[in-house]
Amino acid sequence: MNAPDRYERFVVPEGTKKVSYERDTKIINAASFTLEREEHTIGNILRMQLHRDPNVLFAGYKLPHPLQYKIIVRIHTTSQSSPMQAYNQAINDLDRELNHLKNAFEEEMMRISREY
Amino acid sequence: MDGVSYQRFPKVKIREMKDDYLKFELRETDASIANALRRVMIAEVPTIAIDLVEIEGNSSVLNDEFIAHRLGLIPLTSERAMGMRFSRDCDACDGDGQCEYCSVEFHLHVRCDTDQTLDVTSYDLRSSDPSVVPVDVAQHSESTGYDASEQRGIIIVKLRRGQELRLRAIARKGIGKDHAKWSPAATVTFMYEPEIHINEDLMETLTLDEKRDWIESSPTKVFGLDPNTHQVVVVDPEAYTYDDEVIKKAEAMGKPGLVEIYAKEDSFIFTVESTGAIKASQLVVNAIEVLKQKLDVVRPSEETEEADDQFGELGAHMRGG
Repeated sequence: MNAPDRYERFVVPEGTKKVSYERDTKIINAASFTLEREEHTIGNILRMQLHRDPNVLFAGYKLPHPLQYKIIVRIHTTSQSSPMQAYNQAINDLDRELNHLKNAFEEEMMRISREY
Repeated sequence: MDGVSYQRFPKVKIREMKDDYLKFELRETDASIANALRRVMIAEVPTIAIDLVEIEGNSSVLNDEFIAHRLGLIPLTSERAMGMRFSRDCDACDGDGQCEYCSVEFHLHVRCDTDQTLDVTSYDLRSSDPSVVPVDVAQHSESTGYDASEQRGIIIVKLRRGQELRLRAIARKGIGKDHAKWSPAATVTFMYEPEIHINEDLMETLTLDEKRDWIESSPTKVFGLDPNTHQVVVVDPEAYTYDDEVIKKAEAMGKPGLVEIYAKEDSFIFTVESTGAIKASQLVVNAIEVLKQKLDVVRPSEETEEADDQFGELGAHMRGG
């Protein structure tokens, strides 16, 4: 009866920003990104990609509550980098990895279908 | 920005490819990517499914809602889905989901006039778009061993003499996160590739009966005995379910370290089964595409980045720049 609409899990409400960014007021080069209507799929790949960056001192994500459809990604970097730079770098690297994966998969599909 | 990149270059090897089944190896990446792909295949690759049903007449034994629910669960061929619009953001029809860009109409009209029970099946659905039709189970059946003549589509309801079912249905694009009827995946699983090392020197201290006993301790057929040399060999490493039984058995026999088994943390074996809405191989390609789109929308907007730049300079001044 009072269940929230199912689409609320993945449609960003009007007037809400998909990504918001908040710097830590006490620690330099630390910040939190709030991603609206995202969950473990994006949170975990971002976290693991950020861990590959040696300038990232801490990277983690949390899903604050199962009925709040957002995740918070927290990043702390060295002074050589910044959370925004590391975050962008991680997205770019993941995007290129997926491009590579798509090409590799399609090539393999061609190879297999030729064999049949 | 600067030239540094921490990108990986994953490798793929397909082992078996059928329309509704795919087995492949994914290497040189980590579990987060493998799991993201699995999650996207199950819940976020779009398909088309019946979403709105207008019952014009129903004198069958099943109530209207029950039939509407059953119609929703029928898989429809969805090669078109990636290029379609969600009816909620369709401009052409103001989101009421009744235009060619975001919907497909179906009609069904069946009446039973014989004394024999009449099956109403997915074959009775008449589509307005020849590319979006109920998945034809019979078409795939040659390979699975079914007799095609026995296949009569997916049964919706059964009618007796005098009963009738007449309805109009609208199918829309959707994702499994919204409702499982839109999920193109029957099963998607991945496992770490196991690496099994037998300590041959220690193994040779076992008698033949002990070897047999040890091989038998594994619940799945991972190890076997070479009939000629009586050596223990790995028959099928992927049958191993990480149950540790053989390791415990070795310890119980007083031979710890008889076998060592590691999970290779950058190698995965995927099994993908599709409902038939899209081909299993297309499901993987679409999943990669959807994941890319998801990443693209979480890029910070220009204004967010500019605000950070200014803040950054300010911060630098405060620190004595």
